Formats: sequence, C-alpha cells, structure tokens
Amino acid sequence: MSRVINFYLLSYSIGSLKREKYKNIFLFVVISLLVALLASTFFLSNAMKSEYNTLIDTYPDIVLQNQKAGVAATIESSIADKLLLLDGVKNSEARVYGSYYFNHADSELTIIGVNMFTPSCSSFINDLMQKHSLHRGEILVSSNVKNLFNNYYYKEYFNFIKSDGSLKKMQIDEVFKNSKNFFNKNTLVMLKSDARDIFDYKEYEARDIAIDVANRDEVVSIALKIKRLYPHMNVITKEDLQVEYENLYNFKSGFFLTIFIISFFTFFIIIYDKLSGLNGEKRREIGILKAIGWRVGDVLNAKLYEGAILSLSGYLTGIILAFVYVYLLNAPLLKNIFLYSNNLLKDYTIHLSVEYETLALLFFLSVPIYIVATIIPSWKIATLDADEVMR
Amino acid sequence: MIELKNVSKEYEGGVKALNRVSLKFTEGEVVVLKGMSGSGKSSILSLIAGLCKPTEGEVVVDGKHISKLADHFATSFRRENIGMIFQKYNLIVDLSVQENILLPLVPLNLKNDELEKRLNRELERSNLVSKKDIQVKKLSGGEQQRCAIARANSNNPKIILADEPTANLDEKLSLEFIASLCEMKRENRTIIIATHDPLFFDLDFVDRIVEVGYGKIV
Ligand SMILES: Nc1ncnc2c1ncn2[C@@H]1O[C@H](COP(=O)(O)OP(=O)(O)OP(=O)(O)O)[C@@H](O)[C@H]1O
Ligand SMILES: [Mg+2]
Repeated sequence: MSRVINFYLLSYSIGSLKREKYKNIFLFVVISLLVALLASTFFLSNAMKSEYNTLIDTYPDIVLQNQKAGVAATIESSIADKLLLLDGVKNSEARVYGSYYFNHADSELTIIGVNMFTPSCSSFINDLMQKHSLHRGEILVSSNVKNLFNNYYYKEYFNFIKSDGSLKKMQIDEVFKNSKNFFNKNTLVMLKSDARDIFDYKEYEARDIAIDVANRDEVVSIALKIKRLYPHMNVITKEDLQVEYENLYNFKSGFFLTIFIISFFTFFIIIYDKLSGLNGEKRREIGILKAIGWRVGDVLNAKLYEGAILSLSGYLTGIILAFVYVYLLNAPLLKNIFLYSNNLLKDYTIHLSVEYETLALLFFLSVPIYIVATIIPSWKIATLDADEVMR
Repeated sequence: MIELKNVSKEYEGGVKALNRVSLKFTEGEVVVLKGMSGSGKSSILSLIAGLCKPTEGEVVVDGKHISKLADHFATSFRRENIGMIFQKYNLIVDLSVQENILLPLVPLNLKNDELEKRLNRELERSNLVSKKDIQVKKLSGGEQQRCAIARANSNNPKIILADEPTANLDEKLSLEFIASLCEMKRENRTIIIATHDPLFFDLDFVDRIVEVGYGKIV
C-alpha cells in the first residue's frame, strides 16, 4: 500500500459509492440516525447526571423526617436543638420549606424559610443571608422568579394563597442570582415564620431536620444514633439520596437498554449483510482489477476508503444532528422521558458539555467496525486466483 | 522472452487443463494459440500473466520466474509488463470510457500530466475521444472492444495477451481489431492471441501458429 494518499484510488472509491447510490445513501442515513439517537441519549443523560450530582452536593449530611402512616409529616422543631448536643454533630436545623404552585404561570416555586441569626445547613442560604437582610412580610427572590412575577404584573408585592384560601401579601424585596442548578431555579426565600404561615405549620413545627456532621466518616454512626433516639422516624443520609437518584436514573435506563438493543440490532444487520459477501458483479470487478495489475493491497485500500467515507460521514452527521437536537433544540420528546415532572421540563435548558468519552465510544462502535466489515469480503475474493475472470 | 517449461495445470476437481507443456515466445513475436474449446488456451495465458500458478513446471518471463513469485510481486510484474484483452471485454460497465482506460494506472499514482498524456494517446488511437465520458455499457460491442484494447495499452506493456478477442465481433470489427494488433506489432510488442477464429490463421504479420489440443501442444 502506498504511503501517501492516492487520490486516483480515492476517486475510484467515491465512484464505487456513487455507482450504488441508493444503497449507500440508505446506509449513510441509517448510520447517521443510529449515531444521532445514541449520542443524544448519552448527551442528555450525562447532562442530567451532572445536574443531579451538583444538586446532591448541596444537601445536608443527614435528614431526619417524621412520618405518619408511612407518609412524611411535620416534625417538632425542638428536636434540632436536642440533636445539636450529640457528639460529632456540627449543625442541625429545623427546616421549613416546600413547593408552592403558582397557578398563573403553571410553575412550581420553591419556598425556603430562614432564620436571620442562626446559621443554616445550606451554604447557599448562609451566603445569601450575609448579603441581604429579611424582615417579616418580605421575600427574596431569584432572578428567575422575579421575571416570572413580572410577567404576571407582580412588581412589588406577591399574594400567596394560604391553605384556608385567604391571601398573604408579601413584599418583593431583593433579587439574587439564579442558582446554576436548574432544580433550584425557582427559589424564593422568606423568614421561617412567614413560611410556616403559608404552609400552615404550627409554630413548633418544621418540615424536617437537617444535620451536618463534623467528620464525614461518622455520618453512618451518627445516623444510627439518631435512628435509635427516634425509631419511628426516617433517617436519610446523603448517600441514601444518591442511591435513590441513581435508582430513578436506572429506571430510565430500561429506556436506554431498548435504544441500545434496537441500535445494535440494526447495526448488526448492516454488518451481517456486508460480511455475507459480494454479488457476482462485485467479484468479477475485483478479478478484473487484479488481472489489470491491482495488488490485493490496492483493492483493500479502495475498500478502506469506501468504508471510511461512508461511515465517517455518517458518524459525523449523526454527532452534529445530536448536538443540534440536544443543545440547540433542547431535546424535545427525549427530554420528557428523562424529566418526570412537567415543571422541571419547562425551564430546563441543557448545558453544553462535550464528553469526549461518548464521542470516542460511538466512534469506535461504528466507524472501524463498518470499515472492517467492508474490507473482509473483498479481501477474501482478492486473495483468490484472479484467473476466473478469464472464463 | 517467455518460456513455459514442462508446465502442467490441474484445477480443483481434478480437471487437467495442461499436461507438461513447453513453449517459447521471443520478443516482438506474434503467436496465435489455436485449439478446440477446453484445450487449455486460456490457461496458458493465465499462467503467463501470473494470474494463477502451475501445478508443475515453471513459467519464466523476461528472466523472472513468474510461477514462483508471491501474488504481490506477480501482480507488480503484470502491471508493468502485461496488457490483457478478454473475450468478454471485462470492462467495468458502469464506469466511463476514460475511467476504464485509466484503471490499470490508478495504483501507480502517476502525475496528472502523465496520466493525461496516456489517456489522450489511447483515446485517439482507439478513436474514442468523443465517447470518453460515456458509460461503457452504453457503447456498441466494437467500441467496447476498442476500449478494452486502450485499457490493455495504457500501462505501456511489452506483452499483450488476448483471449478470444474477436469472439463477440462481426467480421468488419474483427478486421478492425486485427489492424490494431498489426499496429501494436509495429511497436515491437510480444503478442499472444488465443482464438479459434479462422481470420487469424492466414495473417502475414502472425509469426507462428501453435495448436493446443487436450493440454498438449500439437
Ligand atoms: N478455474 C477453473 N476451475 C476448474 N476448471 C477450470 C478452470 N479454468 C479452466 N478449467 C478447465 O480447464 C480446461 C481448460 O480450460 P481453458 O479455459 O484453458 O480452455 P480454452 O482452450 O481456453 O477453452 P475455450 O476455447 O472454451 O475458451 C477446461 O476443461 C476447463 O473446464
Ligand atoms: Mg478460453
């Protein structure tokens, strides 16, 4: 085989592709679509995974939840103070927070209650409270929420509807930057007393207790200790949550598996068809080429170009399609499969992140395999005696 | 100089196509191999071209032991020294005339102007200039044969091997073909024609007629 690219050979290969135009266009389309499908799935799932991970990073080490009849119930705030006395507990907080459905915008807001003078278990809240002060009847909103309110003409005040149907008017005080994580986008912050009012909690009630531990290694033993103190309650560690998210994620992977099986099966059929040999016409052509002085290497080089042109262009087109679909069009349809809640869906824009591993994986699963499958049958014919063309 | 020394060829399935054949062709000679169908004419050409290997004996072309060369080197030898013309033309019918003519030169990766030069030479000689971009399958039989000759000549071979070159041609076209052979002879090429077309048997530029019968030289 010659060392530099032989452009005559290349144009012969392009000519061969053109001679079977419809078949090759079909193959190109199938390869592009397969790569696009797999790449989109990978891109989206990786984006989701990193979102989940950044979200979990913001969680406290341990959460204590009360439950009644198996359903999460409010918990007594005073438990937080008792837990603070345990060895190894750095901080504990009775949290008052929850979602509030803003029906005009069909959006879910996350209300977080704070105390001005006691530190929270969330570094995000602590940072926020250093920069802003809050009084009764005031809310701090993220820029996202601010826009949402503006759209519905809530410029200075917002009226929350309490559980008894009465209104609670709150002054929109300051705006903070959106959290990068999309799960935290629609956040608004108010004093715990106000939050209790909206969620209809009693004064001594909280949603749960967040506990931060001084030493990460002690999380499990402290969690056990807490469980012994409150055997009827739910103790959830950060790790449990991680597993929970992963399970949620693996549930989606049934969908993954289907896509993989379909893709591989389709690709397998293509490869099988390629490997199953050449028709008489193609065999004769190889015989002719050998008779007029093409070496086996020349024939294989031509086939290599042929396979490479088709599979590489198919691969690249597929990747470009996936980029456009996921990052420019924001993955319509596919997104619905990954994001269970409609509210999350609406606001979720996918952050561009190029995963070279994904690109490489798809490349090696498609291009070299296709090329080899193109070469092998020709190699089998080319190494036979060429005198059959004489007959 | 081409020499077959005690060559036998047995194909798979036990068909003995040649049985201890010895033959010599000198440079610039025009030889007609005649004989019945199945007598082994094509096999002789295949062996000289290095397209297959003898079961026994040796084939020596220009001092090279063709029959002992590995496929890679036999092919190199063929592409530098041999032009082949077949009964069924063996053109690639979906390609154009010029693509077919240039096909033997593709692996050589020649300079563009050299390629151009050879293409024009062969197009003119075969009178196919106006048809150069036409697909071979749209040509008439005579044009296809001319294209096949042009292809065989494009690598400037010293040896031309023609297997039943006129079997698909009418008399007028056959005579045209013979005229072009005559021209090749003037260029001092060695030409071996396997045929049973009687037209070849009383041509003045043919130096020798060899009769092959059941794997033997008669
Ligand atoms: N590749 C092959 N495999 C098996 N048998 C073969 C092969 N090539 C030729 N033969 C047999 O060898 C014998 C000689 O064949 P060859 O083609 O050399 O004869 P030929 O003189 O050229 O005949 P024709 O005039 O019909 O072209 C025939 O019996 C043929 O069937
Ligand atoms: Mg024959």
